[in-house]
Amino acid sequence: MSWTAEPKRACPADLPEQALVPSDQLRFINRFTVVRADACISCGLCASLCPYGVHKRIEGHGKILSPDDRSCIGPACSVNYFFCVANCPTRSLSVKTSDTYLSMGDPRWTSDMILATWAQAETGRPLPLDHPGNTGASGGGFDKLFFKVPETEVEFSPSEICTSLDLNRRKTGTKVRIPIPIYGGGMSFGSVSVHTMLSRAKAAKSWNTFTCTGEGGYPELLVPYKDHVITQIATGLFGVREETIQRARIVEFKYAQGAKPGLGGHLLHDKNTPEVARMREAVPYTSLFSPFPFHSVYSVEDHKKHLDWAYSINPGAILSVKVSTPNDVEMVSVGSYYAGAHIVHLDGGYGGTGAAPEIAKKNIAMPIEYAIPKVHKFLVNEGIRDEVTLIASGGLRTAMDVAKTIALGADGAVIGTADLVALGCVRCGNCESGRGCPRGIATTDPMLDKLIDSDWGAKRISNLYGAWRLQWCELLARFEMDDISQLRGRMDLLRRADKPAKEVGK
Amino acid sequence: MFERYHIPIKMVEGRAKPVPKFVIVRADNCVNCGKCEKACIYGAHKRSEEDPRKMADPQNQLCKNCFRCVSECPQRALTMSPGPEYRLLGKGIWTPLMISTIWGESETGKIPVFGAGYRGMFAGPGFDGMWTDMSEIVRPTRDGIHGREFISTSVDLGSKPAFLEFDKDGRVASDDAHALLELPIPFVMDISRLRILHGNMMSGYLHAAKHLNTLLMASPALVPHDLPDDERTRLVPVYPESTDVGTLELPRGVRIAEIQLTPRWREDVRKFKERFPGTVLALRMNAGGEVDRLLPDLVDAKVDVAHLVFDEQGSEHMEDKRHSKDSLRAAHKSLVSRKIRDQITIITGGGIAAAEHVPKSILCGADAVALEKALLIALECRDCPSCSKESCPINLHEAPVEWVEGRVLNMVGAWRDQLLEVLGAMGLREVRRLRGELGRAIFYEDVEMEAFGELKGGELDG
Repeated sequence: MSWTAEPKRACPADLPEQALVPSDQLRFINRFTVVRADACISCGLCASLCPYGVHKRIEGHGKILSPDDRSCIGPACSVNYFFCVANCPTRSLSVKTSDTYLSMGDPRWTSDMILATWAQAETGRPLPLDHPGNTGASGGGFDKLFFKVPETEVEFSPSEICTSLDLNRRKTGTKVRIPIPIYGGGMSFGSVSVHTMLSRAKAAKSWNTFTCTGEGGYPELLVPYKDHVITQIATGLFGVREETIQRARIVEFKYAQGAKPGLGGHLLHDKNTPEVARMREAVPYTSLFSPFPFHSVYSVEDHKKHLDWAYSINPGAILSVKVSTPNDVEMVSVGSYYAGAHIVHLDGGYGGTGAAPEIAKKNIAMPIEYAIPKVHKFLVNEGIRDEVTLIASGGLRTAMDVAKTIALGADGAVIGTADLVALGCVRCGNCESGRGCPRGIATTDPMLDKLIDSDWGAKRISNLYGAWRLQWCELLARFEMDDISQLRGRMDLLRRADKPAKEVGK
Repeated sequence: MFERYHIPIKMVEGRAKPVPKFVIVRADNCVNCGKCEKACIYGAHKRSEEDPRKMADPQNQLCKNCFRCVSECPQRALTMSPGPEYRLLGKGIWTPLMISTIWGESETGKIPVFGAGYRGMFAGPGFDGMWTDMSEIVRPTRDGIHGREFISTSVDLGSKPAFLEFDKDGRVASDDAHALLELPIPFVMDISRLRILHGNMMSGYLHAAKHLNTLLMASPALVPHDLPDDERTRLVPVYPESTDVGTLELPRGVRIAEIQLTPRWREDVRKFKERFPGTVLALRMNAGGEVDRLLPDLVDAKVDVAHLVFDEQGSEHMEDKRHSKDSLRAAHKSLVSRKIRDQITIITGGGIAAAEHVPKSILCGADAVALEKALLIALECRDCPSCSKESCPINLHEAPVEWVEGRVLNMVGAWRDQLLEVLGAMGLREVRRLRGELGRAIFYEDVEMEAFGELKGGELDG
């Protein structure tokens, strides 16, 4: 394929530094619980043994502090001579899986994955390639695909590995290159708070990538970040005006969303606060169900007119078309390309949402894992693969999911839920109604949205992207690659199995 | 005048103690500081009413699993664990989630809408191994339940003539062989196999069937004699194997009756057609490979409706235990290949545990779906392993008639709306066009093979 003929792409420079960004809220939600029984005599032996700092005793205090569960590595530690449980003279220590760990998560976003994402957002340190937090437990798709990673560890320098993504691969038009193969997916004002949007926009700016307005209009507070914010035009057309199209470098047409393919956006009445309603030019506290489909587009010719319209308003824009994954997704993709789209964005059935009927999330349209190779192969056969930027989203949770997506044939990915998990989302799934998110992320409640500080949030998301980039670098280095575009379409590097070949102790 | 079909829904609260998904435990080291009360936006933590110095026990049924109280408790006295009673609900395809979803639908009558993406397994056996198609553009028919476009959910029970015949004067020749009944929804209610049925439940179901303008299949022995006419026409008597069709007396007003498939079925059908020419005849049978071969014969014998029965997990009772997804496809195809599909109606019953199973059954080839156990779950049934009047945790025998009716209307209303959403997403205007539309279904085994068939390192299993 043609990438071998292209000159070596420059490695990204000036990437943001990682910083420690802890969360007060999340530090008590951990993998293990260390229990100290009343029999403890506060002798302090455990404090002197534990190299991870679980046990701490402050000089001059009679009583030892309660254990810091966060640092404990769990029963895996029992092989060590310093295992506190075995050495306690009064046998008052025990370690167990925490109840919270057991009640959190689901097969797609396991507890391990949520905790690992929080840890990456906090520290910016990448996960090992065989960490259990890399894959879910849903028993199919990404969770059944594993890289055949060469076992020998290799030395590599991240600055020499290129993870960039070109967003316009056509011969003409504005060229935009982002240093990581991901950008942020659309989340409307109304489904999430303006602080969440700001966190994502600031993180996008620091990584020189993009985030997206979603369909709820373009809040003024985002304008300073306009070079990193995509204007989305969705079927509801909320808040879409000439100037919001003109200020964007990328304009995205949302035909459908993976979580509710064939249905318009849902914003239930409680979350449509006066501020949201003003932005959407709607009546406050009414439920807003966007139409489906675009009532101005009933054919591929209409679709071309649609793109031409955006192009005439903003001739420099890169045009993205976001579609869901029906049976004929490859025809839709080709049609979008010939109508003038630069980016074909496939949103798979298991994608995130602020509110969607459960029946649609589970049953309508196929998972993204099937759509990517289908479209990739079709575009190759059509001879236009290198003119299209193929972006996938919908149920991509980790850096490894993104890498698998690229190996299946996409150029890059769009990330949504992982950004929110970095901000402290526990995936409780109560975003849709009432006051919205109790953690202040997917809410428009004037009290709750204060829980997220956008500078803090931006650093957490930025840390996550940094950790992901380092993980991609390690994966590429293992495969002796120095550019992530070399991974594209390399399905031969994947194996289909129930478990990775080797998994660190759980 | 045209009237759009409408199912009246209203809030019908549960009678039983709720089964919480999560249980919060407050340990002894709680100092009653009240921080959890401020943290919880759902009101699960409150001070005790008798002694405001103390925190009351957490209201677990209000908990939505956000962990705010757990993470904000300064004493770390709160822990949350999965509710033990909830986890043990149901078995097989009747998962705790399926059961609690039906409870919610029967209470509110609304489509379950929640935040965050899909959270279940990637795929699974039975109906979990298929997805329905959608289309991005085409046809101004959409907007689902929120739009102005009308999507028809009407189905016909009975055989349709393949073409019209005219007599020599150009009038349509009457054809009594085609008894036909139109229902506004592709659901019938079948209480003939329910494991428990009290008097009020029977009346509640019947009222619901009347309101829904659909049918209630029940054993004739259970039907009260003094029913008003508008209720009696809603009944489908289900006669047992021992019935002698030659001497059978149908209750007045009945438009459709069901007999069992027995070795003497040809004789029974002939007699029924002779004695009750305008009445739709349904033949009930356990689904299986034998049935695929038998269906063309049933068409020849002018049976109007084949009612295929599966067990409550949706599997065939005998032989290879195929799931109804596969069984229905085989039955449908055996008729289509002989060009006689429209001469018989297929009703499927058993293993219908969620709204999504309705469009999926119809996609696989059924014309209509019989609701059975879901009708019990709608009344908050906990699907206990053993069932008796005395041990019933929800005192089902005391359930008022109006309550039963309201819960059923709500569930059917929510299921129909979800059917409309699926039809809307596919760009279909009527549910009749969904039947057997296999090109608009996506089957796990097909897409998995297409996408990953070339991958080494694992066999293509389930």
